[in-house]
Amino acid sequence: MTEEWIVETHDLVKKYGEHLALDSVNLAIRPGATGLLGPNGAGKSTLLKTILGLIALTSGGGKVLGHDIATEGAKIRQRIGYMPEYDCLTPDMEAIHQVRYAGELVGMNSNSAIQRAHEVLEYVGLRDQRYRTVSTFSTGMEQATKLACALIHDPDLLICDEPTNGLDANARGFMLDTLFQVVKQGGRSIIMSSHLMDDVERICDRMLMIHKGQVIAQGRIEDLKAIDREIEISVWGGASRIEEKLKDMGQSVRRTGRVMRITRIDDSTYGTIIKAAAETSVQIRKMEDYEPSLEDLFIVIMDRLGYSVKSSKDLLGGNTPAMDHAAQLGRKVA
Amino acid sequence: MSEDEFELDDLLDDVSKVAPSAEPTQPETLPVPASPGEAEFMGEAGAVTGKARMEAAYGTGEGEGQGVAMVAQSATVEAGTIFHQVYRPWRGNLNPRWVRNWSILRHHVYGLFSKGHRPWPITTKLVVVIVLFGSLMPIISMAMATLTGIEALMQIYGVSRANLWGHVLGTFRNTCCWPLLTALIVGGLISEDRQHGTSAIYFSRPVTRTDYTLMKYISAALILSMVIVFSYCAYYAAAIIFNNEGWAYLLDTLPFFLGGLVVAIMLVVTFTSIGLALSSISTGKFFPAVSFMGILFGSRILAFLINLLFERDTLYLLSPYDNLAHVGQYMMGINTTYDFPAAWSFVALLLMNGISLYILISRVNSLEVTRE
Repeated sequence: MTEEWIVETHDLVKKYGEHLALDSVNLAIRPGATGLLGPNGAGKSTLLKTILGLIALTSGGGKVLGHDIATEGAKIRQRIGYMPEYDCLTPDMEAIHQVRYAGELVGMNSNSAIQRAHEVLEYVGLRDQRYRTVSTFSTGMEQATKLACALIHDPDLLICDEPTNGLDANARGFMLDTLFQVVKQGGRSIIMSSHLMDDVERICDRMLMIHKGQVIAQGRIEDLKAIDREIEISVWGGASRIEEKLKDMGQSVRRTGRVMRITRIDDSTYGTIIKAAAETSVQIRKMEDYEPSLEDLFIVIMDRLGYSVKSSKDLLGGNTPAMDHAAQLGRKVA
Repeated sequence: MSEDEFELDDLLDDVSKVAPSAEPTQPETLPVPASPGEAEFMGEAGAVTGKARMEAAYGTGEGEGQGVAMVAQSATVEAGTIFHQVYRPWRGNLNPRWVRNWSILRHHVYGLFSKGHRPWPITTKLVVVIVLFGSLMPIISMAMATLTGIEALMQIYGVSRANLWGHVLGTFRNTCCWPLLTALIVGGLISEDRQHGTSAIYFSRPVTRTDYTLMKYISAALILSMVIVFSYCAYYAAAIIFNNEGWAYLLDTLPFFLGGLVVAIMLVVTFTSIGLALSSISTGKFFPAVSFMGILFGSRILAFLINLLFERDTLYLLSPYDNLAHVGQYMMGINTTYDFPAAWSFVALLLMNGISLYILISRVNSLEVTRE
C-alpha cells in the first residue's frame, strides 16, 4: 500500500431528512492505527458507512485507499476488512466455513478461501476450535471469528467497530495484541471505533474524535496530548494556601487533596510553583511533569468545547445533561 | 569470635564439601521432564494442548476464568512454545462479481446436500425429500399401469391435460405439499440475516443489495423448482419412456406440457416473491412461514365462503393459488371453474408479484451494516 492517506474527505455532509449526521467532515487519515472516538449518536456509524462506500452523500466527497467514496464503493470494500460491533455470524455454521464464505463473498475462489480460512483462524487463536459451530463459542471466540472474517482477504484497511465489546480482561488483551500485530507485523492499517480509551491508546498512534457530526480533534495522540501539559505536585501543610496563591499568580490549578496539577505554560512555571511554595511555607514533596492519558485528553477537549464531562463514560451514554444544556445555549462545537 | 559465630569462608568450605569435586559430567541423553506436569506453556504449568490455549485466551471450558491470556505476545515467546502468532499476507487475486454471486447461490442450494454451506434445519431437508418423493409417486403408478397393461389404470395415471394440470395445481399438492415446502424454504432466508446480523457480512463486502436480493431469490426459486418443476418434467418424460411413445405423442401433448411448465414456473415465482417479501419484514422464520400459509389458505377460504354465501367468485382474485389455477386452466385448455376472464387472474398475479417485490426490495434496502 503506497497511498499517503488511506482516508481523505473534504466537506463531507450527510443528512437524514432534517437530521445532520455528518457536518462538513474533513478527514486525512494516514496509514497505521487510528482510533475513532465519540459519544453515541456522534456520527461514528455514519462515518464508517461512508468509508465503506455504502451511503449516498448529501454533498462533499473523498477517497478511501485511492478510490472515490461516491462511485467506487465495491472497489473500496474489496480492500477493506470490516469487523462489526454486533453479531454477524450464522450460529449453526462451523467457524471454518463461516470464514471461508466471508472470503468467497469478497471474490476469493473456494480453494483459496478455505486455505486462507485455516491460516487466519490459527492467527486469531482458533486453530483447534475451527470446526466447532459458532453457537458454541464464547463471546471472545465469536469476536475472534469476526476478526478472521475481516482478515481473510488480507485487507489493506481493517475497520473494527468496538472489537473488545463484551470481552473479559484476558480475551480483551488477546484481541488487542492481535490487532496490534496486524498493524506492526502485517503492515496493515486499522480504524478502530471504541469507547474504551485504554484500548485506543494501546493500539493506535492516531485518533479521530467526532461529536455532533463534526470532527473535533484528529491527529497523533502524542501531539494532541501536548495541547495540555501539566506539572503534578504533591504538597504537605497548606494545600489550600498554595492553591490560592498559584491561582493568584495566574496559574490554572486542578486539585485532588494534596495532589495538584498546574498547567505548564513554559519553563518558568516551575519557578512560579517553587516561589508560591516558599511564600506560603508549604512543602513540595514531589514535582514532575504529568503524562496525560487519552482520558485526560478527552476531558480537556470536551472542556474546551464548553462541556462539563467527568470521564469518557459519557461516550457510552451520549450527551450528559451538561452537554445538552450547553448545546441548548447554542455553543459552537468545533 | 565465639563458637556460635561463623565466617563466610567457613560456609563456602562446607558447600565445597557437598559439591562434587570433579567437573560435572554431561548426561548421556537430554534431560526429560519427570512428568507432564512440569511442562510449561507461556508461564502456565501443564501440557500444551489446544484446549489449554483456548482456555488461556478466552476462559472457556472447565478452566473458565483461570487461564492467562498470553498467547498473543510474540515478544515473550520462549523455547517450547508451539503457538507463535504470525501474520501471513495473502497474495491471491479477487474474482469478479459473478463469482461472488455464484458463491451466494451455492451457499444456499448446496446447504441442502452438504455441510459447510447454509445450515438448513433437518426438518426442512426432510420435508424437501418427502415432498420430492411424493411428487414422483405418479411415475411409479404410471410404471405399474404400463407393466400391468390395464387400460383403466393408464387413463388414471397417464399423461393428460387434467393430470398435467393436477401435478402442479392439484388441490392436495397445493394444500399439503407446495405451501409447506415454500414456507420452510423461504421463511428464514432473509429474516435470519436480519435476526443474526449476517447482512453485515454481505454488505460490508462488494456485494450490492441487488446481487444479494437476486441471489436469494434465485436460490429459493431453484430449490422449489428442483421439487415442483423437476417432478413435473420427470413425470412427462417417464410417460414417454414407459409407453415407448413417438413423435406423434410428443406433438399431441407438448402444448399441454409446456402450458403446465409455464404455470409451474409462475407458481414457483409467485410463491417465492410472496414468501421472500414476508421473510424480509420479519426477524425470524416462524412469522414468514405461518403468514405465508395464512395468506394462501386464508384467501382461498375467504373467497370460497363468499362464493358460497353470495354466489360471487370475484374474491378468488385475491387468492394466489386460484389465480394460478385459473391461468393454468386457460393455458392447458381445460374448462375454467371461474366466472371471470383468465386475464384478470393473470393481472392479479402480476400485481401480487409486483407488490411482493416492492416490499422485498425496500426491506432489503433497510438492512443495516453497522447496526440492526
